[in-house]
Amino acid sequence: MRKNHYIYALTLICMFLGMIIGVQYNTVKKQNSLTENQRLTELTATLKKVQEENEALQAHLKEKEETIENYETGLNYGAAMESLQKEIEQLRIFAGVTEVQGAGILVTMNDSSTKNGGDSNAYLVHAEDILSVINELNVGGAEAISINGQRIVGESSVSCAGSIVMVNGERIAAPFEFKAIGDGDILQSALKFPGGVVDNLAPWGIEIIIHKEANVVIPPYTQTSLWKTSGLVQGGGEK
Amino acid sequence: MIAPVFGLICGVVIGVVSGVVIPYGYADYVAIAILACLDSVLGGIYAISQKQFDLKIFATGFFCNGILAVGLVWLGNQLNITLSIAAVVVYGSRIFNNFSQIRRFLLNKPKKQIIVVTEKGE
Repeated sequence: MRKNHYIYALTLICMFLGMIIGVQYNTVKKQNSLTENQRLTELTATLKKVQEENEALQAHLKEKEETIENYETGLNYGAAMESLQKEIEQLRIFAGVTEVQGAGILVTMNDSSTKNGGDSNAYLVHAEDILSVINELNVGGAEAISINGQRIVGESSVSCAGSIVMVNGERIAAPFEFKAIGDGDILQSALKFPGGVVDNLAPWGIEIIIHKEANVVIPPYTQTSLWKTSGLVQGGGEK
Repeated sequence: MIAPVFGLICGVVIGVVSGVVIPYGYADYVAIAILACLDSVLGGIYAISQKQFDLKIFATGFFCNGILAVGLVWLGNQLNITLSIAAVVVYGSRIFNNFSQIRRFLLNKPKKQIIVVTEKGE
């Protein structure tokens, strides 16, 4: 009789234990599948992008070959001029000296509004954080990026200047508004990657709001570059 | 001894089928609570084998150990120390100890019966 009593209690408690184990199993399984799925979509997107890029490059190659043929034969002067114009336009976009627009994302980053002790610097957006966001956007294939109206180009700099941040030599302050043109889904997943920028900054309460936009207008790079030091390598350089 | 095992299996099935998911932040706590509860159950079985089982001690031990382990991990998180390691080590070693005691009890049990049988046979 007394023994049955023990068994009854033990069974009940074992059942409870089993239930927690089952629920925990669900949780762990879901977490793992979540990460895997996220990686999977990202890899699929990358593969698709690379394939598209390959196709575009093939078409580009064909076009270039035709252009070279045109130059060489000299028969089609008007077409040669036209292709040169087109190339100049492309290079302008590439250099970031023209205003561009297209589908993309809008990222707003603001200092933390909470302060839960510790180093108060950890609750502010730093130049390094801005750099890592720019880097992740570039990883995600952004075609053009600007921060608070400052276009990011090859020679752009982001540095810390006390309580504000200098971008392209101009002072900007929080909230930082990033604009990027590119595939919105890929750009978003590049930022939200597990262990990525958003994950690292979220514990400090730094607000990062990401919006996909159908049309983003990005201003041109306005600083003049003097190019005093560098020159073309004779015989080498382009091609 | 079959009923508790059956209960455990039932519980696991109910837990998995229910599809309940614990919020991400609490998963660590539940893992430690499971370890503490497993220790309590093995301790209870050991106590039964020693005929020292007390329902009150067992039931309170089951829940208090779980709560204490979770509390310890929570404190560790607040102080930025991984106190969960302490809980894992202590409960882990206790589970092994309890299990070895139960194993010894189960191995010794049939021996006595054989002796009794042979004595009767004589």
